[in-house]
Amino acid sequence: MPELQDASVIVPHGTVERGARHWWHDYAVMVQWHLASLRVWLVTLTIVQLLAGVGFVLGISLFFVRVPMTAALFVSTGVPVINLMTVGLILGPQLVADQKSNGSYEYLRSMPVSRSVTAAAWYTVCLIGGVPAMVVSLGVARLRYDLPLHVSPMIVPAVLLTSFAGTMLGYALGHAIGSPMATRLITQLLVFAIFGFAPILFPLSQMPRWLGTLNWWFPFRQMAVVTRAALTPGGHAAVLSAYVVLGLWAIACAGLAGRALGRRP
Amino acid sequence: MTVVVAGGRPRHLPQSELRSGTGYWVASLVSMMHFDYGRVRQWVPMMIVIQTMMGAGMALLYGFFYPHVTATRALYITTGAPTLALIPLGFVMLPGTVAEQKLEGTFDYIWSLPSPRSAQAASTFVLYTLLALPGSVFALLVAAWRYHVHLAFSPLLVPAVLLCALMAITVGYGMALAISNPMVTNVVTNALMFVVLLFSPIVYPVSQLPRWLATVHYFLPFYNMAVVIRAGLTSGVVAHVAISFVVLAAWTAAGGAATAWVVGRRR
Repeated sequence: MPELQDASVIVPHGTVERGARHWWHDYAVMVQWHLASLRVWLVTLTIVQLLAGVGFVLGISLFFVRVPMTAALFVSTGVPVINLMTVGLILGPQLVADQKSNGSYEYLRSMPVSRSVTAAAWYTVCLIGGVPAMVVSLGVARLRYDLPLHVSPMIVPAVLLTSFAGTMLGYALGHAIGSPMATRLITQLLVFAIFGFAPILFPLSQMPRWLGTLNWWFPFRQMAVVTRAALTPGGHAAVLSAYVVLGLWAIACAGLAGRALGRRP
Repeated sequence: MTVVVAGGRPRHLPQSELRSGTGYWVASLVSMMHFDYGRVRQWVPMMIVIQTMMGAGMALLYGFFYPHVTATRALYITTGAPTLALIPLGFVMLPGTVAEQKLEGTFDYIWSLPSPRSAQAASTFVLYTLLALPGSVFALLVAAWRYHVHLAFSPLLVPAVLLCALMAITVGYGMALAISNPMVTNVVTNALMFVVLLFSPIVYPVSQLPRWLATVHYFLPFYNMAVVIRAGLTSGVVAHVAISFVVLAAWTAAGGAATAWVVGRRR
Protein backbone atom coordinates (compact mmCIF):
# COMPACT_ATOMS: atom_id res chain seq x y z
CA MET A 1 0.00 0.00 0.00
CA PRO A 2 2.43 2.70 -1.13
CA GLU A 3 -0.30 5.41 -1.21
CA LEU A 4 -1.03 5.05 2.49
CA GLN A 5 2.63 5.31 3.44
CA ASP A 6 2.95 8.43 1.30
CA ALA A 7 -0.16 9.84 2.89
CA SER A 8 1.23 9.45 6.40
CA VAL A 9 4.20 11.52 5.31
CA ILE A 10 2.18 14.20 3.54
CA VAL A 11 -0.51 14.78 6.18
CA PRO A 12 0.75 17.66 8.32
CA HIS A 13 1.06 17.44 12.06
CA GLY A 14 -2.18 19.30 12.63
CA THR A 15 -3.77 17.84 15.73
CA VAL A 16 -4.61 20.12 18.63
CA GLU A 17 -2.19 19.58 21.50
CA ARG A 18 -3.87 19.11 24.88
CA GLY A 19 -2.77 19.98 28.41
CA ALA A 20 -2.32 23.14 30.44
CA ARG A 21 1.22 23.83 29.23
CA HIS A 22 0.18 23.70 25.61
CA TRP A 23 -2.90 25.76 26.38
CA TRP A 24 -0.84 28.57 27.87
CA HIS A 25 1.65 28.47 25.04
CA ASP A 26 -1.09 28.54 22.40
CA TYR A 27 -2.84 31.31 24.30
CA ALA A 28 0.28 33.50 24.43
CA VAL A 29 0.92 32.92 20.73
CA MET A 30 -2.68 33.74 19.78
CA VAL A 31 -2.68 36.95 21.83
CA GLN A 32 0.55 37.98 20.10
CA TRP A 33 -0.98 37.06 16.75
CA HIS A 34 -4.05 39.22 17.39
CA LEU A 35 -2.02 42.15 18.68
CA ALA A 36 0.36 41.98 15.73
CA SER A 37 -2.32 41.62 13.06
CA LEU A 38 -4.56 44.28 14.60
CA ARG A 39 -1.86 46.76 15.60
CA VAL A 40 -3.02 49.61 13.35
CA TRP A 41 -6.64 48.80 14.01
CA LEU A 42 -6.12 48.72 17.79
CA VAL A 43 -4.38 52.09 17.87
CA THR A 44 -7.18 53.67 15.82
CA LEU A 45 -9.73 51.94 17.99
CA THR A 46 -8.17 53.21 21.22
CA ILE A 47 -8.21 56.78 19.89
CA VAL A 48 -11.85 56.46 18.78
CA GLN A 49 -12.79 54.92 22.14
CA LEU A 50 -11.06 57.74 24.03
CA LEU A 51 -12.70 60.45 21.91
CA ALA A 52 -16.14 58.84 22.15
CA GLY A 53 -15.85 58.24 25.90
CA VAL A 54 -14.57 61.70 26.74
CA GLY A 55 -16.99 63.22 24.18
CA PHE A 56 -19.96 61.61 25.88
CA VAL A 57 -18.85 62.61 29.35
CA LEU A 58 -18.37 66.24 28.30
CA GLY A 59 -21.27 66.36 25.80
CA ILE A 60 -23.99 65.49 28.29
CA SER A 61 -23.49 68.79 30.10
CA LEU A 62 -24.63 70.64 26.94
CA PHE A 63 -28.07 69.03 27.21
CA PHE A 64 -28.80 70.94 30.39
CA VAL A 65 -28.66 74.54 31.51
CA ARG A 66 -27.18 73.27 34.76
CA VAL A 67 -26.29 69.60 34.65
CA PRO A 68 -27.90 67.65 37.56
CA MET A 69 -25.53 65.45 39.58
CA THR A 70 -27.61 62.33 38.81
CA ALA A 71 -27.32 62.85 35.06
CA ALA A 72 -23.57 63.43 35.28
CA LEU A 73 -23.11 60.41 37.53
CA PHE A 74 -25.10 58.08 35.30
CA VAL A 75 -23.33 59.13 32.13
CA SER A 76 -19.92 58.99 33.78
CA THR A 77 -20.46 55.49 35.15
CA GLY A 78 -22.28 54.32 32.01
CA VAL A 79 -19.61 55.34 29.50
CA PRO A 80 -17.10 52.81 30.98
CA VAL A 81 -19.64 50.04 30.30
CA ILE A 82 -19.90 51.14 26.69
CA ASN A 83 -16.09 51.41 26.43
CA LEU A 84 -15.79 47.85 27.74
CA MET A 85 -18.27 46.25 25.38
CA THR A 86 -17.59 48.20 22.18
CA VAL A 87 -14.62 46.07 21.10
CA GLY A 88 -16.10 42.66 21.85
CA LEU A 89 -19.71 43.31 20.98
CA ILE A 90 -19.65 45.80 18.11
CA LEU A 91 -16.24 45.68 16.43
CA GLY A 92 -15.56 41.97 17.02
CA PRO A 93 -18.50 40.71 14.92
CA GLN A 94 -17.72 43.28 12.21
CA LEU A 95 -14.13 42.06 12.12
CA VAL A 96 -15.33 38.46 11.78
CA ALA A 97 -17.75 39.56 9.04
CA ASP A 98 -14.85 41.22 7.19
CA GLN A 99 -12.75 38.08 7.60
CA LYS A 100 -15.62 36.01 6.20
CA SER A 101 -15.96 38.36 3.24
CA ASN A 102 -12.27 38.38 2.34
CA GLY A 103 -11.54 34.72 3.07
CA SER A 104 -9.12 34.99 5.99
CA TYR A 105 -11.77 33.44 8.27
CA GLU A 106 -11.21 29.94 6.90
CA TYR A 107 -7.47 30.39 7.28
CA LEU A 108 -7.77 31.44 10.93
CA ARG A 109 -10.01 28.46 11.63
CA SER A 110 -7.47 26.08 10.15
CA MET A 111 -4.94 26.92 12.85
CA PRO A 112 -4.21 24.07 15.27
CA VAL A 113 -5.42 25.74 18.46
CA SER A 114 -8.43 24.79 20.53
CA ARG A 115 -11.62 26.85 20.56
CA SER A 116 -11.13 27.84 24.20
CA VAL A 117 -7.69 29.27 23.37
CA THR A 118 -9.08 31.28 20.46
CA ALA A 119 -11.88 32.65 22.65
CA ALA A 120 -9.62 33.43 25.62
CA ALA A 121 -7.10 35.22 23.40
CA TRP A 122 -9.84 37.32 21.80
CA TYR A 123 -11.28 38.15 25.22
CA THR A 124 -7.84 39.38 26.32
CA VAL A 125 -7.58 41.60 23.25
CA CYS A 126 -11.05 43.03 24.00
CA LEU A 127 -9.94 43.87 27.55
CA ILE A 128 -6.80 45.54 26.20
CA GLY A 129 -8.97 47.59 23.82
CA GLY A 130 -11.51 48.57 26.48
CA VAL A 131 -9.90 49.11 29.88
CA PRO A 132 -7.62 52.11 29.03
CA ALA A 133 -10.53 54.05 27.52
CA MET A 134 -12.64 53.21 30.55
CA VAL A 135 -10.00 54.56 32.95
CA VAL A 136 -9.53 57.79 30.97
CA SER A 137 -13.31 58.39 30.66
CA LEU A 138 -13.71 57.96 34.41
CA GLY A 139 -10.78 60.28 35.09
CA VAL A 140 -12.19 63.01 32.85
CA ALA A 141 -15.63 62.60 34.42
CA ARG A 142 -14.15 63.02 37.89
CA LEU A 143 -12.28 66.14 36.90
CA ARG A 144 -15.21 67.70 35.04
CA TYR A 145 -18.07 67.02 37.47
CA ASP A 146 -16.30 66.42 40.79
CA LEU A 147 -18.28 63.20 41.22
CA PRO A 148 -18.56 61.21 44.45
CA LEU A 149 -16.97 58.11 42.93
CA HIS A 150 -15.89 55.27 45.17
CA VAL A 151 -14.06 52.44 43.44
CA SER A 152 -14.56 49.19 45.37
CA PRO A 153 -12.68 45.91 44.79
CA MET A 154 -15.86 44.63 43.11
CA ILE A 155 -14.74 46.62 40.07
CA VAL A 156 -12.49 43.67 39.09
CA PRO A 157 -15.24 41.04 38.71
CA ALA A 158 -17.60 43.69 37.31
CA VAL A 159 -15.18 44.71 34.55
CA LEU A 160 -14.17 41.13 33.80
CA LEU A 161 -17.74 39.86 33.58
CA THR A 162 -19.07 42.89 31.66
CA SER A 163 -16.34 42.56 29.09
CA PHE A 164 -16.71 38.75 29.00
CA ALA A 165 -20.48 38.85 28.44
CA GLY A 166 -20.09 41.51 25.73
CA THR A 167 -17.29 39.60 24.04
CA MET A 168 -19.18 36.31 24.09
CA LEU A 169 -22.35 37.94 22.76
CA GLY A 170 -20.30 39.45 19.95
CA TYR A 171 -18.56 36.11 19.45
CA ALA A 172 -21.89 34.38 19.02
CA LEU A 173 -23.09 37.12 16.61
CA GLY A 174 -19.93 36.88 14.55
CA HIS A 175 -19.55 33.13 14.39
CA ALA A 176 -23.06 31.69 14.74
CA ILE A 177 -24.65 33.99 12.13
CA GLY A 178 -23.62 32.85 8.69
CA SER A 179 -24.21 35.97 6.63
CA PRO A 180 -21.71 38.83 7.12
CA MET A 181 -24.40 41.31 5.96
CA ALA A 182 -26.78 40.18 8.72
CA THR A 183 -23.99 40.45 11.30
CA ARG A 184 -23.19 44.02 10.23
CA LEU A 185 -26.86 45.04 10.30
CA ILE A 186 -27.46 43.52 13.75
CA THR A 187 -24.41 45.23 15.25
CA GLN A 188 -25.53 48.59 13.81
CA LEU A 189 -28.91 48.14 15.43
CA LEU A 190 -27.22 47.10 18.68
CA VAL A 191 -25.26 50.37 18.82
CA PHE A 192 -28.52 52.26 18.57
CA ALA A 193 -30.20 50.07 21.20
CA ILE A 194 -27.29 50.26 23.63
CA PHE A 195 -26.93 54.03 23.51
CA GLY A 196 -30.58 54.93 23.61
CA PHE A 197 -32.84 52.12 24.63
CA ALA A 198 -30.95 50.45 27.45
CA PRO A 199 -30.68 52.21 30.82
CA ILE A 200 -26.88 52.51 30.75
CA LEU A 201 -26.35 56.25 30.43
CA PHE A 202 -29.48 57.37 32.29
CA PRO A 203 -31.58 56.08 35.23
CA LEU A 204 -34.09 53.32 34.63
CA SER A 205 -36.88 55.56 35.93
CA GLN A 206 -36.51 57.91 32.95
CA MET A 207 -37.67 55.34 30.42
CA PRO A 208 -41.15 53.83 30.05
CA ARG A 209 -41.79 51.08 32.58
CA TRP A 210 -42.36 48.34 29.99
CA LEU A 211 -39.04 49.13 28.30
CA GLY A 212 -37.25 48.92 31.63
CA THR A 213 -38.86 45.55 32.35
CA LEU A 214 -37.91 44.31 28.91
CA ASN A 215 -34.35 45.41 29.57
CA TRP A 216 -34.18 43.22 32.67
CA TRP A 217 -33.93 40.19 30.39
CA PHE A 218 -31.09 41.67 28.35
CA PRO A 219 -27.47 41.88 29.48
CA PHE A 220 -26.91 45.64 28.91
CA ARG A 221 -28.91 46.89 31.88
CA GLN A 222 -27.21 44.30 34.09
CA MET A 223 -23.75 45.34 32.89
CA ALA A 224 -24.52 48.89 33.96
CA VAL A 225 -25.85 47.69 37.32
CA VAL A 226 -22.72 45.70 38.26
CA THR A 227 -20.26 48.33 37.00
CA ARG A 228 -22.10 51.24 38.62
CA ALA A 229 -22.34 49.35 41.91
CA ALA A 230 -18.55 48.97 41.94
CA LEU A 231 -17.96 52.66 41.17
CA THR A 232 -20.37 54.44 43.48
CA PRO A 233 -20.75 54.36 47.26
CA GLY A 234 -23.76 52.97 49.08
CA GLY A 235 -25.76 49.76 48.94
CA HIS A 236 -27.07 48.55 45.63
CA ALA A 237 -30.08 46.37 45.18
CA ALA A 238 -30.29 43.71 42.52
CA VAL A 239 -26.51 43.41 42.03
CA LEU A 240 -26.56 39.67 42.69
CA SER A 241 -29.35 39.01 40.20
CA ALA A 242 -27.52 41.20 37.69
CA TYR A 243 -24.41 39.03 38.04
CA VAL A 244 -26.54 35.89 37.56
CA VAL A 245 -28.31 37.20 34.44
CA LEU A 246 -25.00 38.39 32.96
CA GLY A 247 -23.32 35.08 33.74
CA LEU A 248 -26.14 33.13 32.10
CA TRP A 249 -25.93 35.30 28.95
CA ALA A 250 -22.17 34.84 28.80
CA ILE A 251 -22.42 31.06 29.15
CA ALA A 252 -25.24 30.74 26.61
CA CYS A 253 -23.41 32.90 24.05
CA ALA A 254 -20.12 31.09 24.61
CA GLY A 255 -21.96 27.82 24.03
CA LEU A 256 -23.54 29.10 20.80
CA ALA A 257 -20.24 30.42 19.47
CA GLY A 258 -18.41 27.23 20.50
CA ARG A 259 -20.95 25.08 18.69
CA ALA A 260 -20.68 27.21 15.55
CA LEU A 261 -16.88 27.05 15.65
CA GLY A 262 -16.89 23.29 16.24
CA ARG A 263 -19.10 22.58 13.22
CA ARG A 264 -17.33 21.60 10.05
CA PRO A 265 -18.34 23.83 7.16
CA MET B 1 -11.80 47.88 -39.50
CA THR B 2 -13.32 49.16 -42.71
CA VAL B 3 -15.03 52.42 -42.45
CA VAL B 4 -17.45 52.83 -45.28
CA VAL B 5 -17.58 56.39 -46.31
CA ALA B 6 -20.63 57.37 -48.26
CA GLY B 7 -21.47 60.93 -49.10
CA GLY B 8 -18.46 62.18 -47.12
CA ARG B 9 -19.86 60.97 -43.79
CA PRO B 10 -18.46 57.93 -41.96
CA ARG B 11 -21.04 55.30 -41.08
CA HIS B 12 -20.76 52.45 -38.53
CA LEU B 13 -19.18 54.87 -36.12
CA PRO B 14 -21.09 56.07 -33.08
CA GLN B 15 -22.31 59.60 -33.16
CA SER B 16 -19.63 61.07 -30.93
CA GLU B 17 -19.81 64.81 -31.33
CA LEU B 18 -20.77 66.70 -28.18
CA ARG B 19 -24.32 67.77 -27.99
CA SER B 20 -25.28 70.79 -25.94
CA GLY B 21 -28.05 73.27 -25.32
CA THR B 22 -30.74 73.66 -22.70
CA GLY B 23 -33.08 71.16 -24.33
CA TYR B 24 -30.40 68.50 -24.38
CA TRP B 25 -29.44 69.26 -20.77
CA VAL B 26 -33.03 68.89 -19.56
CA ALA B 27 -33.46 65.67 -21.55
CA SER B 28 -30.23 64.36 -19.99
CA LEU B 29 -31.45 65.31 -16.53
CA VAL B 30 -34.69 63.42 -17.06
CA SER B 31 -32.94 60.29 -18.34
CA MET B 32 -30.34 60.44 -15.56
CA MET B 33 -33.15 60.69 -13.01
CA HIS B 34 -34.76 57.60 -14.54
CA PHE B 35 -31.39 55.86 -14.42
CA ASP B 36 -30.61 56.89 -10.82
CA TYR B 37 -34.08 56.08 -9.58
CA GLY B 38 -33.85 52.65 -11.19
CA ARG B 39 -30.68 52.00 -9.27
CA VAL B 40 -31.87 53.16 -5.85
CA ARG B 41 -35.47 51.94 -6.18
CA GLN B 42 -34.92 48.77 -4.17
CA TRP B 43 -33.28 50.77 -1.37
CA VAL B 44 -35.97 53.46 -1.12
CA PRO B 45 -38.09 51.74 1.57
CA MET B 46 -34.97 51.01 3.61
CA MET B 47 -33.76 54.61 3.30
CA ILE B 48 -37.09 55.91 4.54
CA VAL B 49 -37.09 53.42 7.42
CA ILE B 50 -33.52 54.33 8.45
CA GLN B 51 -34.31 58.03 8.27
CA THR B 52 -37.49 57.64 10.30
CA MET B 53 -35.67 55.49 12.86
CA MET B 54 -32.88 58.00 13.05
CA GLY B 55 -35.14 61.05 13.43
CA ALA B 56 -37.89 59.52 15.55
CA GLY B 57 -35.55 57.18 17.43
CA MET B 58 -33.22 60.00 18.36
CA ALA B 59 -36.17 62.16 19.40
CA LEU B 60 -37.38 59.42 21.78
CA LEU B 61 -33.86 58.74 22.97
CA TYR B 62 -33.04 62.35 23.85
CA GLY B 63 -36.15 62.35 26.03
CA PHE B 64 -34.72 59.50 28.14
CA PHE B 65 -31.72 61.61 29.08
CA TYR B 66 -33.84 64.19 30.88
CA PRO B 67 -35.27 63.54 34.35
CA HIS B 68 -38.25 65.66 33.38
CA VAL B 69 -39.17 66.59 29.81
CA THR B 70 -40.54 70.11 30.16
CA ALA B 71 -42.75 71.72 27.50
CA THR B 72 -39.81 73.73 26.13
CA ARG B 73 -37.58 70.66 25.93
CA ALA B 74 -40.37 68.69 24.24
CA LEU B 75 -40.81 71.47 21.69
CA TYR B 76 -37.09 71.60 20.95
CA ILE B 77 -36.79 67.82 20.64
CA THR B 78 -39.87 67.50 18.41
CA THR B 79 -38.88 70.30 16.05
CA GLY B 80 -35.31 68.97 15.96
CA ALA B 81 -36.46 65.53 14.77
CA PRO B 82 -36.88 66.42 11.04
CA THR B 83 -33.39 67.96 11.05
CA LEU B 84 -31.98 64.80 12.62
CA ALA B 85 -33.69 62.76 9.91
CA LEU B 86 -32.27 64.89 7.07
CA ILE B 87 -28.65 64.86 8.21
CA PRO B 88 -27.80 61.13 7.91
CA LEU B 89 -29.21 60.86 4.38
CA GLY B 90 -27.07 63.66 3.00
CA PHE B 91 -24.01 63.41 5.20
CA VAL B 92 -23.70 59.64 5.68
CA MET B 93 -25.79 57.56 3.27
CA LEU B 94 -25.05 59.54 0.10
CA PRO B 95 -21.26 59.71 0.67
CA GLY B 96 -21.40 55.98 1.50
CA THR B 97 -23.17 55.30 -1.80
CA VAL B 98 -20.63 57.38 -3.71
CA ALA B 99 -17.73 55.59 -1.95
CA GLU B 100 -19.25 52.24 -2.91
CA GLN B 101 -19.74 53.39 -6.53
CA LYS B 102 -16.10 54.47 -6.65
CA LEU B 103 -14.95 51.07 -5.37
CA GLU B 104 -17.05 49.03 -7.77
CA GLY B 105 -16.42 51.26 -10.78
CA THR B 106 -20.02 52.40 -11.40
CA PHE B 107 -18.85 55.93 -10.95
CA ASP B 108 -16.52 55.80 -13.95
CA TYR B 109 -19.29 54.21 -15.99
CA ILE B 110 -21.72 57.04 -15.20
CA TRP B 111 -19.11 59.64 -16.11
CA SER B 112 -18.60 57.90 -19.46
CA LEU B 113 -22.28 58.32 -20.35
CA PRO B 114 -22.97 60.91 -23.06
CA SER B 115 -24.86 63.28 -20.79
CA PRO B 116 -23.46 66.46 -19.28
CA ARG B 117 -21.88 65.78 -15.90
CA SER B 118 -23.72 68.76 -14.45
CA ALA B 119 -26.98 67.02 -15.40
CA GLN B 120 -25.74 63.84 -13.71
CA ALA B 121 -24.98 65.71 -10.49
CA ALA B 122 -28.25 67.66 -10.67
CA SER B 123 -30.15 64.40 -11.05
CA THR B 124 -28.60 63.10 -7.81
CA PHE B 125 -29.46 66.34 -6.01
CA VAL B 126 -33.10 66.39 -7.13
CA LEU B 127 -33.69 62.68 -6.57
CA TYR B 128 -32.20 62.53 -3.11
CA THR B 129 -33.89 65.76 -2.03
CA LEU B 130 -37.24 64.18 -2.91
CA LEU B 131 -36.27 60.93 -1.19
CA ALA B 132 -35.31 62.82 1.97
CA LEU B 133 -38.79 64.25 2.51
CA PRO B 134 -40.94 61.23 3.64
CA GLY B 135 -38.48 60.21 6.35
CA SER B 136 -38.40 63.65 7.92
CA VAL B 137 -42.20 63.93 7.88
CA PHE B 138 -42.51 60.55 9.62
CA ALA B 139 -39.88 61.54 12.19
CA LEU B 140 -41.81 64.73 12.96
CA LEU B 141 -45.11 62.85 13.28
CA VAL B 142 -43.67 60.25 15.69
CA ALA B 143 -41.98 62.92 17.83
CA ALA B 144 -45.11 65.12 17.93
CA TRP B 145 -47.19 62.10 18.96
CA ARG B 146 -44.74 61.07 21.68
CA TYR B 147 -44.40 64.51 23.28
CA HIS B 148 -47.93 65.84 22.58
CA VAL B 149 -46.53 69.01 21.09
CA HIS B 150 -48.81 71.43 19.23
CA LEU B 151 -47.08 72.82 16.19
CA ALA B 152 -47.82 76.03 14.33
CA PHE B 153 -47.02 75.39 10.69
CA SER B 154 -46.00 78.36 8.59
CA PRO B 155 -45.44 78.55 4.82
CA LEU B 156 -41.76 79.05 5.62
CA LEU B 157 -41.55 75.30 6.27
CA VAL B 158 -41.56 74.38 2.57
CA PRO B 159 -38.50 76.38 1.50
CA ALA B 160 -36.82 75.57 4.82
CA VAL B 161 -37.10 71.79 4.43
CA LEU B 162 -36.26 71.88 0.72
CA LEU B 163 -33.18 74.03 1.30
CA CYS B 164 -32.02 71.88 4.23
CA ALA B 165 -32.40 68.67 2.24
CA LEU B 166 -30.69 70.17 -0.80
CA MET B 167 -27.89 71.58 1.35
CA ALA B 168 -27.23 68.27 3.14
CA ILE B 169 -27.17 66.41 -0.17
CA THR B 170 -25.04 68.93 -2.06
CA VAL B 171 -22.48 69.18 0.72
CA GLY B 172 -22.44 65.39 1.28
CA TYR B 173 -22.04 64.76 -2.44
CA GLY B 174 -19.37 67.45 -2.87
CA MET B 175 -17.48 66.03 0.10
CA ALA B 176 -17.68 62.47 -1.23
CA LEU B 177 -16.40 63.62 -4.64
CA ALA B 178 -13.68 65.92 -3.34
CA ILE B 179 -12.20 63.32 -0.95
CA SER B 180 -10.74 60.67 -3.21
CA ASN B 181 -10.13 57.96 -0.60
CA PRO B 182 -13.42 56.22 0.43
CA MET B 183 -11.88 55.24 3.79
CA VAL B 184 -11.32 58.91 4.65
CA THR B 185 -14.90 59.72 3.63
CA ASN B 186 -16.10 56.99 6.00
CA VAL B 187 -14.10 58.40 8.92
CA VAL B 188 -15.27 61.96 8.22
CA THR B 189 -18.96 61.01 8.02
CA ASN B 190 -18.79 59.00 11.25
CA ALA B 191 -17.01 61.82 13.07
CA LEU B 192 -19.65 64.25 11.73
CA MET B 193 -22.49 62.15 13.10
CA PHE B 194 -20.86 62.14 16.52
CA VAL B 195 -20.54 65.93 16.45
CA VAL B 196 -24.11 66.30 15.24
CA LEU B 197 -25.67 64.03 17.84
CA LEU B 198 -23.78 65.26 20.89
CA PHE B 199 -22.38 68.70 20.29
CA SER B 200 -24.89 70.40 17.99
CA PRO B 201 -27.71 72.58 19.30
CA ILE B 202 -30.44 70.79 17.33
CA VAL B 203 -32.58 69.42 20.17
CA TYR B 204 -31.54 71.96 22.78
CA PRO B 205 -31.14 75.78 22.72
CA VAL B 206 -27.85 77.19 21.45
CA SER B 207 -27.61 79.24 24.64
CA GLN B 208 -26.62 76.07 26.53
CA LEU B 209 -23.35 75.88 24.63
CA PRO B 210 -20.11 77.57 25.68
CA ARG B 211 -19.72 80.82 23.74
CA TRP B 212 -16.89 79.60 21.47
CA LEU B 213 -18.79 76.46 20.48
CA ALA B 214 -21.91 78.49 19.78
CA THR B 215 -19.87 80.79 17.51
CA VAL B 216 -18.57 77.76 15.61
CA HIS B 217 -22.12 76.54 15.16
CA TYR B 218 -23.32 79.86 13.71
CA PHE B 219 -21.10 79.05 10.73
CA LEU B 220 -21.72 75.29 10.52
CA PRO B 221 -24.89 74.06 8.79
CA PHE B 222 -26.43 71.90 11.56
CA TYR B 223 -27.63 74.60 13.93
CA ASN B 224 -28.93 76.69 11.02
CA MET B 225 -30.89 73.72 9.66
CA ALA B 226 -32.56 73.36 13.04
CA VAL B 227 -33.33 77.10 13.13
CA VAL B 228 -35.08 77.32 9.76
CA ILE B 229 -37.07 74.11 10.24
CA ARG B 230 -38.07 75.16 13.76
CA ALA B 231 -39.13 78.52 12.36
CA GLY B 232 -41.46 76.71 9.97
CA LEU B 233 -43.02 74.63 12.74
CA THR B 234 -43.41 77.15 15.55
CA SER B 235 -44.13 80.80 16.01
CA GLY B 236 -42.08 83.11 18.18
CA VAL B 237 -39.45 80.57 19.19
CA VAL B 238 -36.57 81.43 16.90
CA ALA B 239 -35.11 84.68 15.65
CA HIS B 240 -32.60 85.62 12.95
CA VAL B 241 -34.07 83.11 10.50
CA ALA B 242 -32.85 85.09 7.51
CA ILE B 243 -29.20 84.76 8.57
CA SER B 244 -29.64 80.99 8.88
CA PHE B 245 -31.13 80.85 5.37
CA VAL B 246 -28.11 82.77 4.06
CA VAL B 247 -25.65 80.43 5.81
CA LEU B 248 -27.46 77.38 4.44
CA ALA B 249 -27.51 78.85 0.94
CA ALA B 250 -23.78 79.53 1.22
CA TRP B 251 -23.14 75.89 2.22
CA THR B 252 -25.29 74.71 -0.68
CA ALA B 253 -23.27 76.89 -3.04
CA ALA B 254 -20.02 75.57 -1.55
CA GLY B 255 -21.17 71.97 -1.99
CA GLY B 256 -22.21 72.74 -5.56
CA ALA B 257 -18.86 74.41 -6.24
CA ALA B 258 -16.93 71.42 -4.88
CA THR B 259 -19.01 69.14 -7.10
CA ALA B 260 -18.50 71.37 -10.13
CA TRP B 261 -14.76 71.53 -9.49
CA VAL B 262 -14.43 67.73 -9.35
CA VAL B 263 -16.73 66.86 -12.25
CA GLY B 264 -15.24 69.63 -14.40
CA ARG B 265 -11.77 68.08 -14.31
CA ARG B 266 -10.63 65.31 -16.58
CA ARG B 267 -8.66 62.47 -15.09
